[in-house]
Amino acid sequence: MSSPIRVLTAVPICDGHDSAINTINLEFIRHGIEVVYLGFHRYVSDIVRAAIQEDVAAIGISSYNGGHVEFFAEIVRQLRKRGANDIAIFGGGGGTITHDDVTLMKRRGVDQIFFAGTSLADMVEYVRQHYGKKRRPGAKINGDIALARKLTEIEDSFAKHKPRRSPGSARRFGSSRNSKRARVLGFTGPGGAGKTTLIDELVLRFLQRNPKGRIAILSHDPSVVGEGALLGDRATMINSQDDRVFMRSMATRGQSGGLSPATESCLDLLAHSDFDYVIIETVGTGQEALPFRSTLVDQTVLVMNPDYGARLQLQKIVMLDVADIVVVNKTDLERAKAALLEIEQRLAQNNFPQQIAATVAKRHRDHGVDVLYDLLMQDSTGAISGRRKQRIERQRAATMKTRSR
Amino acid sequence: MSKLGQVVEAVEKHGRFVLEQVKRARSDEKFARELSERWQMTKAGIPISRAPTGLPLPRLALPEIDEPGEIARYLFGEGLPGEFPFLNGAYREMYLEPLERVGIEDGSYGNKKSPNGSQGQKNGARPPEEPTRLFSGLMLAEDTNKRFHFLSAHQRSKRLSTAFDGPTLYGIDSDADGVFGKIGEGGVAVDTVEDMVRLYDGFELGSPEFSASMTISGPAPIIMAMYIAAAKRRFGPSVVPKLRGTIQADIFKEVQAQNETIFPIEASLRFLCDMIEWTTREMPRWYPVSISGYHIGEAGATPVQQAAYTLSNGFAYAEMLAARGIPVDQFAPRLSFFLDCGLDVEYIALSRVSRKIWAIGMRDVFGASSRGQMFKLHTQTSGRSLIAAEFKNNLTRTAAELMLAYMNGTNSCHSNSADEPFTTPSEEWIRLAAHGQAILLEESGIFKHTMNMLSGSPGMKAVERAVEKAILDEFRQIEELGGVLAAVENRYQRSQIQNAAHRYERQIYDGTRPVVGLNRYRDGADEVPDIELARTPKAKQQLQINRLAKFKKKNAEKAKRALQKLGDVVERGENCFPALLEAAEVCSLGQITGRLQELVGRFRPMV
Repeated sequence: MSSPIRVLTAVPICDGHDSAINTINLEFIRHGIEVVYLGFHRYVSDIVRAAIQEDVAAIGISSYNGGHVEFFAEIVRQLRKRGANDIAIFGGGGGTITHDDVTLMKRRGVDQIFFAGTSLADMVEYVRQHYGKKRRPGAKINGDIALARKLTEIEDSFAKHKPRRSPGSARRFGSSRNSKRARVLGFTGPGGAGKTTLIDELVLRFLQRNPKGRIAILSHDPSVVGEGALLGDRATMINSQDDRVFMRSMATRGQSGGLSPATESCLDLLAHSDFDYVIIETVGTGQEALPFRSTLVDQTVLVMNPDYGARLQLQKIVMLDVADIVVVNKTDLERAKAALLEIEQRLAQNNFPQQIAATVAKRHRDHGVDVLYDLLMQDSTGAISGRRKQRIERQRAATMKTRSR
Repeated sequence: MSKLGQVVEAVEKHGRFVLEQVKRARSDEKFARELSERWQMTKAGIPISRAPTGLPLPRLALPEIDEPGEIARYLFGEGLPGEFPFLNGAYREMYLEPLERVGIEDGSYGNKKSPNGSQGQKNGARPPEEPTRLFSGLMLAEDTNKRFHFLSAHQRSKRLSTAFDGPTLYGIDSDADGVFGKIGEGGVAVDTVEDMVRLYDGFELGSPEFSASMTISGPAPIIMAMYIAAAKRRFGPSVVPKLRGTIQADIFKEVQAQNETIFPIEASLRFLCDMIEWTTREMPRWYPVSISGYHIGEAGATPVQQAAYTLSNGFAYAEMLAARGIPVDQFAPRLSFFLDCGLDVEYIALSRVSRKIWAIGMRDVFGASSRGQMFKLHTQTSGRSLIAAEFKNNLTRTAAELMLAYMNGTNSCHSNSADEPFTTPSEEWIRLAAHGQAILLEESGIFKHTMNMLSGSPGMKAVERAVEKAILDEFRQIEELGGVLAAVENRYQRSQIQNAAHRYERQIYDGTRPVVGLNRYRDGADEVPDIELARTPKAKQQLQINRLAKFKKKNAEKAKRALQKLGDVVERGENCFPALLEAAEVCSLGQITGRLQELVGRFRPMV
């Protein structure tokens, strides 16, 4: 089975017309295409960076607010400048893009513009025909673009059932400082708890406090075998659209448990690619999920919403037995106080130090997020490696518990 | 229960009340007699005027009923035009030719007492202006200004509606990285108070004949402050209480549909309420928020979703303003509405039902007096219904939509240009669109002789009942999710709208939704209007940037102080609008947005 086609879609800066692109995204997904959706009101630089990091075959731009000739041409220019000449650009804008415009845009390197009235089926067909082929990158690629292509290779090898598990080669790929391993933070929790927003706020703090640091994010969205996926976390992660953040969105491609078959290998590569931190975010998980079995994950964070239901539900959440930090997000909700108390009592059943943090991630400059950031950053490497071992032990125990249930 | 839940109960209660009155009219002889007498007097008092052909017609048509129960059902359930619950119209005469022009044959509405005794005579007053609003916005301020003068040359009242370019809508300055091609595209570029002065140059901003409408929401409080600052520069501080017009400022619909939000939702709502609190006190003739379903409809919502989300957003604003301690009769009469009108059958009665639900909710849940119960409505024909293929058909689409809008008794209306799928409308097609309204209202006899000319057909009543029920069901759903704000944060409305949009597109592609020239009667050659596209020349875009640079240089010191002060006020949690007014004198839009975003953060888009 071949890998799904990956495309990135977005709406240009100062344009909020996302009705058409939402419909097109849904149609792409239905037909097996993985769509990294960047959202509306997006700068060229954000689009180009995302396309490179996500290593998509093509960028689709839906523009209704004018200025399209300049906008599309600027994408081409910046892609070429960064050596990603083989990423194609297509788009549309109803009747706002005229035939004369299209002639000009194609001359400047745009691959295809769909006029008003083009059927969804025709668009899907075009994408499959033209962007499903193996691409030829420029001769010399390095930096993020090379890393991104390597991640694609790993993902593709899993799609073909020829997993390529060779951490050694990953290390060789890293820079001269390959002895440095990034600290890996795993975030998990139920859908709607606010993981993505929380991670984005932590990234913002990281960028503000480490003027030279780099961070990587491996984010997951669900998909089933043979179908596409909407990889939409980038749209929400406004602070993570930065040259010092390398973000990769992965579809789970049929694997249950919150991660993708290729996650472990991709993580191995990222952990040895000169980042200070690598953050993994799982898909929204259920009560039985224990997603971080990897020895590469240094710290695990469970993000919860105060609205988990009755206290009894807490007993069933296995991740509470193993998480290093439990975050109760959305503590502006009415139930938050009671929830914090109940969760504290639940954690007291475990015989090892776990920390608990209360956050309102959607609030700018939230104090709770500051506290969580410090918790994550202060941990010394020694303490972490000790705890990692213990966690793996606990995880094994928790797994047994789940099975016997 | 939020106020929305109470509105549902109030509407249901009102329904029961009407049925009780019907029963009572059929069992209580005294009550029946009173009703019959009132009905006879109302009918006898209706003036008669003559059509140009000499045909005498009553200025108000009433159903042919004489049974007291049915009279009760009509008077309490629908109300005469201008009377609670305003189903048939917010005002008594709406688009009728003024009496002095046609001459009265007979009668003068003798009995002005309403069945509920709650309505004063004020509602009988005819809106003094043409219901046509002229929409424009292109290139730089002086270009839009020229277009405004062209469009309004023959109008007795100057009602200008302003579209802003992308950078302005997102609170960004024209000199920001990566926005160059967007300057002056799709609307006018406004960066500073000086642009605002140029934009309305030559118009008497304080005149009762002038009103400005500004279509902007995300940075609305900042743009509002700039408008006030510009008016003060030109006419002195005494002009402020005289300013008339409206600014869209509808944050909820931005988050639900149009995506032009720049601060997090709660901060946006705070700045909005700061502005409403200030303007409803200091500018009693200004409408500081236009609660808009238009963009919800354009984003693909069904008509019922459009009306339900618009009304519930309106009730949510009312709840927030009331919670601030602003008296309901200070803010309620300053809330106005903006709906889309397309070709789906619901539009036959959508605004009628909306008017009724709003009136009941405002009276019974918020305790508003008569002026605060009225759903004052601007309608725009559907842009979404216009297509590029065989675009001249768009004239017919717009004409049909206009007809529906006026059947619903909209207070003002904008008709789209047929060339809109291609570009900012050109003068030729704008004229045709505006003239479409004049043909309907002035040339044809459909609306100018008789109120209720087309109200209350059995079909219309059937649509009303179905639509009302569906809107209340939506309210219940939102209430179940914790009210409007909670539903918005959980992206409920967004996903509902997106699902409806997807269904709409699929229906077009599979042919179950006929679109002439697209999936039916397509004749091949797609014609493109022979117009010069309204693209902003590079030289103009550069001029805007140069002007901005000059402004920033000139005001550098003052701007720093104003922004500092603004920041302090925001941090202290006070009403920041007075500080915004000061900042607007010396700061650019982008400078103010930037300062506020440092403090409250940026909007995190929902997908």
